Amino acid sequence: MDNEARSWKCGKCGEELKKKKTLFNYLGHTFSYEVDRCPKCGNVFIPKELAEGRMAEVEAQMEDK
Amino acid sequence: MADTIRKTASVCPVCLERLPAEIVRRGENYYIEKTCPAHGHFSAVVWRGMNPSFEDWCAGIEPGGLAPDCPNACGLCKNHLRKTCCALVEVTARCNLACPVCFASAGCGDAKEPSVSELYRQFRALVRNGNTFVQLSGGEPTVRDDLPEIVAAAKRAGCENIQLNSNGLRLGADPAFTRALKDAGLSFVFMQFDGTDDTIYEKLRGRPLLEAKKAAISVCGDNLLGVTLVPTVVPRVNDGDIGNIVRFGLDNSPAVRGIHFQPVSYFGRYPAPPSDSDRITLPEVLRAIEAQTGGKIKLSDFVPSACDHPRCGFHGDFVVLPGGMLIRLTSKSGKSACCSDGNAHLKNRNFVSRRWKRTGPAPEARPDDDFTNLDTFLKRVRSHGFTITAMAFQDAYTLDLERLRSCSLHVFKDGRTLPFCVNYLTACTGGL
Repeated sequence: MDNEARSWKCGKCGEELKKKKTLFNYLGHTFSYEVDRCPKCGNVFIPKELAEGRMAEVEAQMEDK
Repeated sequence: MADTIRKTASVCPVCLERLPAEIVRRGENYYIEKTCPAHGHFSAVVWRGMNPSFEDWCAGIEPGGLAPDCPNACGLCKNHLRKTCCALVEVTARCNLACPVCFASAGCGDAKEPSVSELYRQFRALVRNGNTFVQLSGGEPTVRDDLPEIVAAAKRAGCENIQLNSNGLRLGADPAFTRALKDAGLSFVFMQFDGTDDTIYEKLRGRPLLEAKKAAISVCGDNLLGVTLVPTVVPRVNDGDIGNIVRFGLDNSPAVRGIHFQPVSYFGRYPAPPSDSDRITLPEVLRAIEAQTGGKIKLSDFVPSACDHPRCGFHGDFVVLPGGMLIRLTSKSGKSACCSDGNAHLKNRNFVSRRWKRTGPAPEARPDDDFTNLDTFLKRVRSHGFTITAMAFQDAYTLDLERLRSCSLHVFKDGRTLPFCVNYLTACTGGL
């Protein structure tokens, strides 16, 4: 599924998700990334490629030896 | 008045016979003490000061479980707690220096060296046992003109991380040789680097070497060969230069990937039997890093070694930002650094590979870079990750078999796998 091509709606509010810079916390560090977000409740949609790509690499880079 | 903290075992520094030993505390300092029926009582300082405290640093580590014939029957036995993280292979006994301090007594071995095909068989044997991280050591490996062929043999055998342990002299003076090492598959360099002042090299290595070290870093940088600086820390020689070494390393990121402090230990070749004033302990190195960097790097940025015994080392993990600022990555969130983790050696291999191996030229930093952005952070951590680590080797005076049991740095020799501190253990008379 092409995440860029289709618009997503919030499962809770029914609002159309909008791209918004969002903060993530991991192991005491804050990172930002632009993801689809519900303008009403703030729920975000994390696409699989982001979770398994950049986010997984951040986790690996910060994983203690 | 001494309090007994732990019971362990050690050896007599004179005859190397195994002895019962105790870790005792006097005031804020900790000592390993033992008595040989033939050669008397021995005491050596192993930990100074309460910040960090000995007990906190070793929390969760239980003494005991030693094999009755340890270390005399070594090879690794079923009582050994760690698998091999890094396998050290000596490729020569020759050296192009004659340092007053040398763990390997290099330069005085016989001239017989393993051939490339003999080394290939050793590398294959290692890889068959899952040991894909090899350190080429010596002597000084770069005295061998066929070192690129040796690196290629390690690569062909399946080694994933090939580390060169070197004084760096030839790497800087002979760029074509360094290029050939890189082309053959060398991953990164562990480079002796004792300080930022030539008086240090004159005392420890017999001659000024700072410019040669800088040349090596430059040539390795040109060839995208990551360099980890390895200072041997000696009281009254370079323990006051620890902050300068850290600053030098950070200033030379990304060519320099980290610093690996090694408090001096007394095996191999050393000028005279040591007194406690000739020793510097891990907590002192930690406190010196904080004090001599003006608190830019803090003691709390470090955690004990998980790959080895906690009293064998520490590590801190950073990202160097433009202008010399740092992001601290060392995790303290719930993962015990002291747990007996069967995969600690694999985690460490992945960690050092990520940090020390250069994957490409560093991208230009822009003034408006936002390093909280996932993409920008990832680019920077790949190019400018930086480690500050330490390993405290044990000698015949300080050998604690509890620590030895958790060693993951092993020397592969004659088909046997030996913990580093067993392989290089020498009696105070200089013999085995």
